[in-house]
Amino acid sequence: MHPFDDYCQRQNRRQFLGASSRVGIGMAAFYSLMRSGKPLTAMDDQQKSLAISNGPGYGPGNPGPVHFPPTAKRVIYLCQSGAPSQIDTFDYKPTLSKLNGQNLPDSIRNGQRLTGMTSGQTKFPAAQSIAPFRQHGKSGQWISDLLPHHHKIADDICVINSMYTEAINHDPAITFFQTGHQQPGRPSIGAWTSYGLGSESENLPAYVVLLDKNSDPEAQPNYSRLWGSAFLPSNHQGVKLRSEGNPVLYLKDPTGGSLAQQRKMLDGIARLNDLHKQQVGDPEIDTRVAAYEMAYRMQTSVPDLTDISSEPESTFKLYGDDAKQPGTHAANCLLARRLAEKGVRFIQIYHRGWDHHSGLPSRHRKIAKEVDQGSAALVMDLKARGMLEDTLVIWGGEFGRTVYRQGGNESNFGRDHHPRCFSIWMAGGGIKQGYRHGETDDWCYNITRDPMHVHDLNATLLHTLGINHEALTYRFQGRDYRLTDVHGKVVQSILA
Amino acid sequence: MPFLKIFGFTFVCWVLILRASYGEDETVDFNRDVRPILSDRCFLCHGPDRASAEGKATDLRLDDRASAIEFGIFDFDNPTKSELIARVTSADLDSRMPPPDSQKHSLSGEEVKILSLWISEGAKYEKHWSYLFPQRPDLPEIKNPANFFNAIDAFVVDRLKLEDRKPAGVADRNALIRRVTFDLTGLPPSVTEIEAFVNDEDPLRVAYEKVVDRLLSSTHYGEQMARFWLDSARYADTSGYQYDRERKQWVWRDWVINAFNTNMPFDQFTIEQIAGDLLPEATDQTRLATGFNRNHPITIEGGVVDEEYRTEYVIDRVVTTSTVWLGQTFTCARCHDHKYDPVSQEDFYRFYAFFNNVPERGLNGFTPNLVVASPLDAAQEKWENQVAKLEEKLAELNTPINQWEIDVRKQVAKWKILPPVKVVSSGGATPKTMEDQSVLMVGKNPTKDDYEFVFKTEQSVAAIRLEAMVDPALVNGSASRGFNGNYVLSEFVVEVKSGDDASYEPVKIASASADYEQNRFTVDLTIDGRVDATGWAVDGNTRPDNRVAMYSLETPIPPGMAVRIKMLHRYGSSHQIGRFRISASATAPMVGPLEDLLAIDLANRSVDQTNQLRELLVIKFGSEEAREIVKELRFVRAELKKASIVPATMVMQEMPQPRPVFVLERGEYDKPIKERPVSPGLPAAIGALEVGGPQNRLGLAQWLVSSEQPLTARVTINRYWQRLFGVGIVKTSEDFGAQGEYPSHPDLLDWLAVEFMESGWDVKAILKTIVSSRTYMQSSRIAESDYQWDPENRFLARGPRVRLDAEEIRDNALAVSGLLDGKTGGASVYPYHPQGLWMEVNNRPGYSRAYPHQTRAEQLLRRTLYTFWKRTVPPPSMATFDAPSREYCVVRRSSTNTPLQALVMLHDPQFVEAARFLAKRMLDSAQPSVESRIAFGFKCCTSRDPTGAELKILVTAYQQRLDQYRTDLPAADQALGVGGIKITAVVDRAELAALTQVARMLMNLSEFLTKG
Repeated sequence: MHPFDDYCQRQNRRQFLGASSRVGIGMAAFYSLMRSGKPLTAMDDQQKSLAISNGPGYGPGNPGPVHFPPTAKRVIYLCQSGAPSQIDTFDYKPTLSKLNGQNLPDSIRNGQRLTGMTSGQTKFPAAQSIAPFRQHGKSGQWISDLLPHHHKIADDICVINSMYTEAINHDPAITFFQTGHQQPGRPSIGAWTSYGLGSESENLPAYVVLLDKNSDPEAQPNYSRLWGSAFLPSNHQGVKLRSEGNPVLYLKDPTGGSLAQQRKMLDGIARLNDLHKQQVGDPEIDTRVAAYEMAYRMQTSVPDLTDISSEPESTFKLYGDDAKQPGTHAANCLLARRLAEKGVRFIQIYHRGWDHHSGLPSRHRKIAKEVDQGSAALVMDLKARGMLEDTLVIWGGEFGRTVYRQGGNESNFGRDHHPRCFSIWMAGGGIKQGYRHGETDDWCYNITRDPMHVHDLNATLLHTLGINHEALTYRFQGRDYRLTDVHGKVVQSILA
Repeated sequence: MPFLKIFGFTFVCWVLILRASYGEDETVDFNRDVRPILSDRCFLCHGPDRASAEGKATDLRLDDRASAIEFGIFDFDNPTKSELIARVTSADLDSRMPPPDSQKHSLSGEEVKILSLWISEGAKYEKHWSYLFPQRPDLPEIKNPANFFNAIDAFVVDRLKLEDRKPAGVADRNALIRRVTFDLTGLPPSVTEIEAFVNDEDPLRVAYEKVVDRLLSSTHYGEQMARFWLDSARYADTSGYQYDRERKQWVWRDWVINAFNTNMPFDQFTIEQIAGDLLPEATDQTRLATGFNRNHPITIEGGVVDEEYRTEYVIDRVVTTSTVWLGQTFTCARCHDHKYDPVSQEDFYRFYAFFNNVPERGLNGFTPNLVVASPLDAAQEKWENQVAKLEEKLAELNTPINQWEIDVRKQVAKWKILPPVKVVSSGGATPKTMEDQSVLMVGKNPTKDDYEFVFKTEQSVAAIRLEAMVDPALVNGSASRGFNGNYVLSEFVVEVKSGDDASYEPVKIASASADYEQNRFTVDLTIDGRVDATGWAVDGNTRPDNRVAMYSLETPIPPGMAVRIKMLHRYGSSHQIGRFRISASATAPMVGPLEDLLAIDLANRSVDQTNQLRELLVIKFGSEEAREIVKELRFVRAELKKASIVPATMVMQEMPQPRPVFVLERGEYDKPIKERPVSPGLPAAIGALEVGGPQNRLGLAQWLVSSEQPLTARVTINRYWQRLFGVGIVKTSEDFGAQGEYPSHPDLLDWLAVEFMESGWDVKAILKTIVSSRTYMQSSRIAESDYQWDPENRFLARGPRVRLDAEEIRDNALAVSGLLDGKTGGASVYPYHPQGLWMEVNNRPGYSRAYPHQTRAEQLLRRTLYTFWKRTVPPPSMATFDAPSREYCVVRRSSTNTPLQALVMLHDPQFVEAARFLAKRMLDSAQPSVESRIAFGFKCCTSRDPTGAELKILVTAYQQRLDQYRTDLPAADQALGVGGIKITAVVDRAELAALTQVARMLMNLSEFLTKG
């Protein structure tokens, strides 16, 4: 469709929403749009009005158009902020037991820049994995004993050993991972997804963020920008589901009114708004009424969602007793499954205790224990419910850790930041199962096969959702911005 | 309107709309009609970026006529056969332009027609419209003078004529005063102000002008203007990266408020913001202004490479300055030549060179800075006034201070040293009596030891003093027998027996105090009744000194009794007191400041000490009223002290020797291209620094506001227009380049820009001109069909109707409830904030802190402009209403309408509390009936009277709530209990609670959030 016709059509808001499959909102490519979910025409007026006001892919219960058939309907992203060590978890290096204690050769380091924390170190002795590796499942996936529950999902996950990034410090690295840019100012992955696809739920936001309570004394900070919308309309920012106080900010009436009273009050407000609309004719008023209605629905749907008392004991067996403690990683993994069931599009969990510049052997063990069971349980749970096939789960940090020791001695040491290679895993949503992608050298320092850049990961993520990462754009400052900037290749070889 | 903001390409269509409505006989205007098409579809590969087309070698440039001619793409004799037309209409996907894989739309039939027409007219190029210097256009002819208040209307009505439309009627006075009061001050008009205007018998424009003049001279005007500037200046109270810790840059913010309130001309404002430090006549205040370019985030992350971040700061300044003053997207040229605009990568780094000479670092780069007082400095004055007022109030109470002092002196303890008659060590140590009647323990040194000290009372004993004394014979010359010089007194027990045959009975100790206490080893642990390792310690290992502990007895021991004191040491490691002395007093000791102050002679007391003494005496002896005054006085004095401490503000400074600047390969800090050094300068297409003038930031600042510069006035005026009308004349207010939108009213924009410059950059004057136009004063009421014709109101056939900004919404609630603290300037404040938000994001011990929740009105009720802004956790209710994080420059906010906003309005305690106070105002309004009280509240919230139908809904809601609360008073109390500011002396709680619920309804109306 020509932009001109397109514009004329949009002049009439209602007509636009009643309009058909050609509504390629926010996407530069109009030619290969397909539709998923229920037809736009089935939406009630209120939702239409919200969708119009808040941009494409917003109307609750109204999924936006896609470019090709998606393999994933939703994403659960288990972000391991602080950066777990690939050497001690997913990148098996039998050679390191021989190289243990030896100085990293210059030929391997190759003059790469180091952080300000170890650039003054004169020696870089290699440290082998703190836990033995074994093969698991039919696939024979190598996983260390640090994550015993992961052994059970060896055949479900696709381990990527060849991730790399550009930043060497936490703030720029995690900002890069979540927004495609090291400096603040770009929308997060979830915001892009909300913008492009919206929510399938009629009473929950498209993009929900869960923060694990932190237990490590040197925890990484988080930043609202990691779930922010930047130049996208601000309704696409992630909504935090909190483990303390109101699960969604300002959800409860502090004057103690019942829902019935709230209902009455909203009816009164709606009638007043309607009278005023008749006077002034501003359609924004209808949108406001619709927003209040959805807020009301959230007041019942969110407490239901966070009330895990209806979960059977088997759930807690699977996720572990931690799952009964709000704010733990296991509890958040369980909530993620419940959110996924309700049609939330993008669920982001942040754990942030992995940054171990000293005392890594004991601290990594502690954090691994906090994370292991919940993460693995989520995959098993989704699988048992038949949801893994259309849910993409991603697990990983913002970079890796160095093979060489930072300070300490052979038994007690730290590992510094390492952007040149690290490991993550993906599961479900059309990703190969029991698969391993990429390879690093004997020192676990450089990638030797199939490097996968952060932009490649994000391109692949959008691809599973049915979105061409080059076509999901938003014009800002004269430029059509996208999550992957001018980079990113879909990694076809990990697609099932 | 937010809907359309979403579509990046809408602007192209807008141009086509303009075009289509001109009719076939109109000639093609290159800038309006042709450039947008070429830029959007062709420039990516055939534009100013010589490195374009990554890999696909092409030299054809469509932004350059000579190049296009050279490649022979125009056939002037047969335009539709031109290569250009052939390629954009080709059915062959291999030769079709733009190529399908470019993600660019193909050209529409209308667009092809425009290009053909353009070629037929000779394919004339023009400089991009915004780079041409604005000329004052002739006013279009006006047929109906009733539609004409000033020049603005001529341009608008003239444009509407082409659409065959007429402007709307003038809005009613209620709507007008609401609109203009919000626009100029960010606050609603008061009921009194509304009524004064509505009842003003002067003709509308005369009465209106009085209102506008009043608003422009209000201090709230400067706050409102500053608020927008803070978004542009990415001002915040924290440093943004990593742990995002506090910075104090608010003195700079006060400078901005003051500049707007004193109507500093915008050219001077610009020069001082950018280069106030380099002015020959620079003062501390002009240096302070340059904080603008230091407001960017600064990292504290230990592992960073210093130069990487320093480079980011300089780039931030380039991006911010070029966006705010020039409306240019220089940021694109950081890594390569700009794809659309004539800004090369060299140009980027020439501009960069202006900002690269600050003597700063990347890591913890908080210097240079400057301690300068806020130009407002009102805080200090306010507190001084309050101190004076309270002093006066206190004086009126005629408190007998002198008598109290005499009384209290009698209470000072008179210590009598008790000679050690019998001292026993349970562990076998030997007590040795010293000359000063103290006891030194020698000999056996057990790990734990209990001492007994027995004496007979000669006079009554109300208090006992224990002196622990240092001695050269003890460990390291300390007062302890422990290996490190410290001791822990676990328990101090006093027992008494009345006769020789009686047994010792414990005496109750009322309180204990000491002149020094080690952290977590306080003296009260010696009377906690628990004989354990806890107790009183004094950091004796690091601070060996004489120490004193005093014990006041609950009831004095009469004379002639046998007393046994037990000093139990149960910590271990021989942490026993090594030398001590015991004294007794018949009067209980006063401890702390009062005693210290009394020890100072009257003649030697400072004013401070005299005040302190007086206040302590009032607290001790005064009436409740006097004590309250003193408590307040102490708070105010503390605030005054704080206010007179001025933080250092980060400012710009120039190094004597500028840093060399090179083009950075792909914009990366560690890849300077040594063969491509650059010196400070401007993109040639936009302008050049004055020859012979300063070739530095000052030269840049002067050029920005020189008459040789096409952008600053237009860009600035357009932002003002955007604020007032919701959308700018150029919708893309951040981009006046080729990809930006062509102005809806180009002549109007130029007229305003020239008017602005010729007025001497008089900001108040140009705002007055705009708000006094009939265009601005139109009614915003609209029929649905008209709405669909122009949803964004680009043709201005009606008045603006805009949702309030986040800050305005909160300020509105504070204002209508009568709670607003109108103080101007000062340190940022901490209003209501959900529990735990800061720590849930960032809780590293030693680095992070919790939100400092406040209870005092001074913190809770200030205008939102003063709210403490943490970049990584912006105030949530503000972020929900589209306020930016302030991590980077923003000149246009989105405007959404979401369920989370509903939750804020319904449940944020700030709003619920405001509703309670609005209810109180309704009750206090001296209105006779429930109906009239509710109507008063309605008017506070909407600036108009309710209709009968509206009033009925509200009164019914009130009655229902009242019935409920009458039977359930605890529910009323709960409804009234939200927030920290209480209403005392509520006569009828049920009534107030019911009205509070009505007030909540009013504050949740769409109309409350809108200026229409």
